[in-house]
Amino acid sequence: MTLKKYNSIRIVVAMLLAVLISQSIVLRNYVLPIMGIAFSMGLLFYLRSKLKDEVLADERDYTIGGTSARWAIQIFDVFAVIVMIILYAKQDLNPSFLPVAITLAYSVCFLMILYALIFRYFDKIVFLTSRKVYAVIGIMGIVLIALFGLRLFSGEDDWMCQDGQWVKHGNPSFPAPRVECTK
Amino acid sequence: MENRIKEIRTKLGLTQEELAKKVGVRRETIVFLEQGKYNPSLKLAYDVAKAIKMPVDKLFLLEY
Repeated sequence: MTLKKYNSIRIVVAMLLAVLISQSIVLRNYVLPIMGIAFSMGLLFYLRSKLKDEVLADERDYTIGGTSARWAIQIFDVFAVIVMIILYAKQDLNPSFLPVAITLAYSVCFLMILYALIFRYFDKIVFLTSRKVYAVIGIMGIVLIALFGLRLFSGEDDWMCQDGQWVKHGNPSFPAPRVECTK
Repeated sequence: MENRIKEIRTKLGLTQEELAKKVGVRRETIVFLEQGKYNPSLKLAYDVAKAIKMPVDKLFLLEY
């Protein structure tokens, strides 16, 4: 197995995975992509073990990777926040804008927290000696999960299945579910 | 940072690919090192110096 062959296989696997995931979304099958990802990871790990005396990545790649990741996070955060504000402001045009805006907001928060945590993990000297940082992050995490849980499981502002029809309960910010209502 | 990697490597009759294998990096890294477009870590600098049998302070020339 040569590095060139391995890279070609990796591209083909990524393309097949993209097709599989898009089809799974259409078919509403969530087991298929999980199995596909697990199989692909297994296959790539196996092929990687067959690569002997080949350097897949070196210190320059890791340096570039770090810079690229930081840039990607910053660009995504700015872009997502702008789109989120626009969608939030224009929610009257289409009610489905609001859940998209909320998802973007949570994604940005999650990404920033994850980045900060990973950064601090590798910057152990400061992080591990400060219990206050752990406490603040823990409280932030609990508050975020609680807010998200309240929003998701409160039962307020949701669609309810009544006599074979989806009926508004409160003022849901998203359209009625597309699955059949059978109660 | 300037360096004499290309000069010494050519004298030793090594290709970039061969030097990369000896050091354990990709060929592109050797290309960037030779062009002075990448500043290596201390470990990589020592690995390159060892591979081409040259003291590290003679291989890398730091400009102030």
